[in-house]
Amino acid sequence: MATNAFLLDISRCIGCQACTAACKTGNELPAGTQFIQLIEQTRGTFPNLEGGFQNHRCYHCTDAACVSVCPTGALFKEGGMTRLNRDVCSGCQYCTDACPFDVPQMVDGRCSKCDACADVVAAGGTPWCVRTCPSDALRFGDRQEILAEAQSRVAAIKERYPKARVYGETEAGGLGVIMVLPDDPEVLDLPANPQVPLLVNTWQKVVQPATMGLTGLSILVTGVAAVIARRNHMQELKLLHKEEAKADESK
Amino acid sequence: MTTASDREEKVLRYRVGQRVVHATLAISFLMLLFTGLMILWPPMAGLAAGGTSGIIHRVGAILFMAVPILYLIVDRRGAKELLVESFTYDKDDLAWFKHMGQYFLGHAVGMPPQGRLNAGQKLHHAGVVITSATVVISGILMWYAKGSLGAGGLAMAATIHDLSMLALTVLLVGHLYFTFVYKALSSMTTGYVSKEDAEIEHPKWIEEMGQPQVTGD
Ligand code: HEM
Ligand code: HEM
Ligand code: SF4
Ligand code: SF4
Ligand code: SF4
Repeated sequence: MATNAFLLDISRCIGCQACTAACKTGNELPAGTQFIQLIEQTRGTFPNLEGGFQNHRCYHCTDAACVSVCPTGALFKEGGMTRLNRDVCSGCQYCTDACPFDVPQMVDGRCSKCDACADVVAAGGTPWCVRTCPSDALRFGDRQEILAEAQSRVAAIKERYPKARVYGETEAGGLGVIMVLPDDPEVLDLPANPQVPLLVNTWQKVVQPATMGLTGLSILVTGVAAVIARRNHMQELKLLHKEEAKADESK
Repeated sequence: MTTASDREEKVLRYRVGQRVVHATLAISFLMLLFTGLMILWPPMAGLAAGGTSGIIHRVGAILFMAVPILYLIVDRRGAKELLVESFTYDKDDLAWFKHMGQYFLGHAVGMPPQGRLNAGQKLHHAGVVITSATVVISGILMWYAKGSLGAGGLAMAATIHDLSMLALTVLLVGHLYFTFVYKALSSMTTGYVSKEDAEIEHPKWIEEMGQPQVTGD
């Protein structure tokens, strides 16, 4: 499957809520559930203040922390997207803690986050949010093409926003949502260098398998030894009883 | 020297309160182990879906944490003896460790004389006490702070939890092993063991109890 990506042009998002509404309707989300949060922000320094919106959603990280901690396989990578199968989610909340962007939420005891409109895309369609955006802030397609588009958009706004940059080319192994930022990531409430702590990977990839392996090994070793040791013990008891009998006789 | 009559004669090893406490410990531990493994082990992970196992894990955790309190209530003396003896080792215990391989392979006759608990039991019980503390602390951390621990904190708590559970499980495997090899189960079911077994494995205890050893000749 081709590696897809979203384009999210923060400099063009006008906070109209068309994407949130389309996402909610298209995915038939229950009341209170939302995959996109539009957060109003004030950017720049006085007197050059400017209002804007952070279009907060799952960024579909390539090295997705949520996927590395998910013990049930409910979260998984597919075609560059971070998918979620709610049916097997145990509600352990590990993903909530692990995600560097604070994305996964718990709804009815299970994880809730953007599933990249997987059904729609599989049927050859475009994700709901992308389809409805009136301001061309969202696009979806092949990751290489999306990246090139983001770079040319940054070049085009460099004059107006000197700090403009592409975000998501390499962050967290490369995001599945490539962003055009008008300012530094910190100003937009995005971590400059989203990272998965080393221990997260050692926990799931080393500690857990080692735990299972060593437990299995101890069961195997004692299982074999038990047969031998039990026989040995029975023999020494028999020997003891024989000696007693002899001692009794000689009395 | 043991005698044939010692085989029929029984000595009380654990009072009823102690047996109830131990059963609570064993049941709660197994609840925790299986529901914990559902989160940890991919082949069992499907069973965790929906979060029921998480609830059972917490019920087990409450039982598990209640065990020390329960022990103090029903049999203060037993609890104290367990704690004190498990952390006190004498010369015979050290000598016992040297011959541990022999005991592991089923040869109890000829081991250095042991008290109420042999050195291996002491080590097991002490290990249980220590790793129970770490499993409880990391467990409580995950219980109350999950969702706000951050990735590093969560991984830290879970790593401690996993390693403690590894230690406890290996201790349990050994515990069951020796229970089976030396057919010791009765001390936790009826409370009694045959006097002969006790004389072979815990001669200093029999002596202490003021039941003079019957001499053969
Ligand atoms: C003998 C005792 C215990 C064993 C064998 C055990 C085992 C486990 C295992 C294997 C996990 C999965 C860890 C992972 O994903 O890497 C786990 C998770 C967890 N344990 Fe325990 N545990 C024990 C005691 C406790 C106690 C005493 C508490 C609480 C006071 C506790 C609370 C938790 C919590 C909150 C989780 C997170 C998963 C969830 O929310 O269901 N555990 N445990
Ligand atoms: C599941 C099956 C288990 C069986 C069949 C079993 C069996 C036994 C037996 C036969 C004894 C008495 C040994 C003696 O004669 O001194 C004993 C004692 C003990 N066991 Fe277990 N055990 C089990 C589970 C556990 C677990 C899960 C733990 C701890 C996590 C544990 C901790 C202890 C402790 C601390 C003692 C000493 C009790 C005291 O002094 O009050 N056992 N067990
Ligand atoms: S891709 Fe689909 S699920 Fe994700 S935010 Fe857009 S509309 Fe919602
Ligand atoms: S943004 Fe968070 S939830 Fe989305 S893929 Fe990355 S780590 Fe997972
Ligand atoms: S809450 Fe669900 S999706 Fe999140 S890590 Fe746990 S099992 Fe996976």
